[in-house]
Amino acid sequence: MKVEENGTAKLFFLSSAFWFVLGTLEGIADATDMVVPDLFGGISWLVFSRIRPMHTTTMIFGFVGSALLGASIYIIAAVLRTPLWSERLGKVSLWIWNISIAVGLIALDLGYSQGREYAEWIWPADIGILLAFALIFYNCFQTAVKRNEKIMYVSSWYILAGLVFTWIIYFFGNAVWNPEKGAIYGLPDGILAWFYGHGIVGLFLTPLAVAVAYYIVPRVARSPLYSHKLSLVGFWSILIIYTHIGSHHILQTPIPTYLKVIAISGSIAMIIPVMTVLVNLWLTMRGRLGLFHQDIGGKFVMAGLVWYIITCIQGPIQALPVVQRMTHLNNWVIAHSHLGVFGFSGTIALGGLYYILPRITGRPLYSTRLADVQYWLLLLGMAGFFGVLTAGGLVQGNSWLNGETVYRTLPMIHVYFVLRASIGVLFVGAAFIGLYNIIRSIVGEPATESQEFETEQAIGLTQ
Amino acid sequence: MKMTPLVLVLGGIIIISPVLLMNVLRPWAIWQTERPSDIFRARTPLEEKGREIYVNNGCTYCHTQYIRDFDWDIGAQRISKSGDYIAESPHLLGTERTGPDLSQEGGEHPDDWHLAHFVNPRFVRPDSVMPSWEFLGQENILALIAYKQSLGFKQADGRVERQKYWKSEAIKAFEAGPDKNVEWLHGHVPEPWTKLPNPYRTSVPGLDRGHRVYQSFCIGCHGPIGDGMGPAQPFLYPPPLNFTILQNRGITGGILYYQIMNGITGTAMPYFKKDLESEKIWDVGNYIAVTFIGETDAGQPTRGIDVSYEPVEDKK
Repeated sequence: MKVEENGTAKLFFLSSAFWFVLGTLEGIADATDMVVPDLFGGISWLVFSRIRPMHTTTMIFGFVGSALLGASIYIIAAVLRTPLWSERLGKVSLWIWNISIAVGLIALDLGYSQGREYAEWIWPADIGILLAFALIFYNCFQTAVKRNEKIMYVSSWYILAGLVFTWIIYFFGNAVWNPEKGAIYGLPDGILAWFYGHGIVGLFLTPLAVAVAYYIVPRVARSPLYSHKLSLVGFWSILIIYTHIGSHHILQTPIPTYLKVIAISGSIAMIIPVMTVLVNLWLTMRGRLGLFHQDIGGKFVMAGLVWYIITCIQGPIQALPVVQRMTHLNNWVIAHSHLGVFGFSGTIALGGLYYILPRITGRPLYSTRLADVQYWLLLLGMAGFFGVLTAGGLVQGNSWLNGETVYRTLPMIHVYFVLRASIGVLFVGAAFIGLYNIIRSIVGEPATESQEFETEQAIGLTQ
Repeated sequence: MKMTPLVLVLGGIIIISPVLLMNVLRPWAIWQTERPSDIFRARTPLEEKGREIYVNNGCTYCHTQYIRDFDWDIGAQRISKSGDYIAESPHLLGTERTGPDLSQEGGEHPDDWHLAHFVNPRFVRPDSVMPSWEFLGQENILALIAYKQSLGFKQADGRVERQKYWKSEAIKAFEAGPDKNVEWLHGHVPEPWTKLPNPYRTSVPGLDRGHRVYQSFCIGCHGPIGDGMGPAQPFLYPPPLNFTILQNRGITGGILYYQIMNGITGTAMPYFKKDLESEKIWDVGNYIAVTFIGETDAGQPTRGIDVSYEPVEDKK
């Protein structure tokens, strides 16, 4: 196995770009299915409900997860001024990670699912993912133990804690002690599944995305972090609060009342960790927004943080029972999940990727312009998705609440389904552009001397 | 506060412990003392097989399995209780209702309706966006149907029995020929409805509205020309009604309205009272009467005081 500095992070980025293409193709297949349900004419491996979990898990673990893990592995080494403890182990975990994702997806496509959202993968894939998480954690932990830099920067807290928590919720959430079903019994299974389902966004994607933002924002702004205390509050409060609120996904089912109370009050309290992080980062970048427009990585991260505040204002509001009467079970929630997974963590993951990749390869991106095109496609696409799905969801929610049947609302939301599929084309295009750009950036021609100077200028080594 | 790897890991464990206690252990402990609800019964092996197919193919992404106290659609007669879920593994609560909730689906339709619906949902529900499941094969579809007919447990069993009883009655009537069949169909409509003419006069806009409703609800079974030869016909027995046999057999607007509103339990004809409100039922009834049966009693002189929107007739 070839071992090079930051080779693991680089390959995680490449994996992410590949999974992004697959994930958007799955997405557009499903969006099209909702418009023309007979299009795939009974091809079993293209049927909507098998592609649906493939789309969500490809995006969460494959695209966003891989990019965030790659960025985290690079960042933890960078902020602790220590090379990654073992690149060899890193590459082993990368392959276990990717093979597990592939196994999970192929099984889903063939009709083997454990049926609980984001925990659908069969047992062997679960074990692989757990193993990969454990190895990556061990690698990062050893790097932290053997660090040259005394002070641990906030990004490294989020990375280490995120990896520990993710392992625990993945283990419990997938009920891996029950290989056949990957579930327990009764309503507690629903509670457990949503403890996991919410946690995988809140304790895997969120901490790692926040770690990336904490790393990139001060560097692009060329300014120290605004407040150490705020970052402490944000860090501990997200771990305390986020872990409790999964039951807001099943608030309208007959689960114990104490869980509903915890879920609702916790959801509102999420404003604390979110706002401390955002205030801290925004005060760091105050007066320096111009720098973020010049840096493609910084630009993505900035957009991700804007989506973050929108998601996290919407989240607490839609956790309220009175709001859920209209928003639950319809496309409003789908808009929110795209906002959280793609808008917030996906956009920041891409920001991390574009900021870090040139620093790994030692030469600029193959094309900053292509990355910029991708940025705009994704920004427009995300805004479009959010608008269209929220509007469609309100049509559904209002109709049901006022006595229409689900069947009667289908023609009403047809137009929103058409728009969603059309907007999906932007995502597919962006994903292909990204894959091309990243492959060319990694396997480009070695830079000549004059190019290296340009590189240094481009990545800010020569001021 | 000085952050070290040890602080992070220990702090994380201190936080996650109460979380696991509250969100994993305590719900599990509560479930240990949970009693089955009044309707609960165990599933048969065939129903379990159907449930596995349901899980593996992701039906749960479009169909929830819980009824809330403000729901209107099918199943709304019974709000879900925690004791209903005692044997669920994995849970199938669901998060989206692109299709209807299924927690009380058992016995809503007879098996033959389900067969047509699984082969292609648009055969019986033209606006549906559900995929065709023909590729699963006959055996798997039958298991899925068995599972669906079990949703609602004992309540569902009662409804399924009712479907079976009325299906045998409907088949007897169908096999006795058109005269007897129509007599049987009309005979089960309560007295006042059989004598009730459609109180609204025929108009072109009214027929257009009826046509629109017909296309979204009726065309799959009764077909575009109302001869009962829609795409679902090969799956259904007794077959969908050919409307022309109603001619000269005492059809009234009231009978049409009642049959559309209530459906004919036992046959594939569902009730439409949840989908369609009054005007839509009168309009589609009159569309069928005018276009396919060729006789209508719409707006006959006994209709009472004209409703205010109706066009004013010239006084001769």
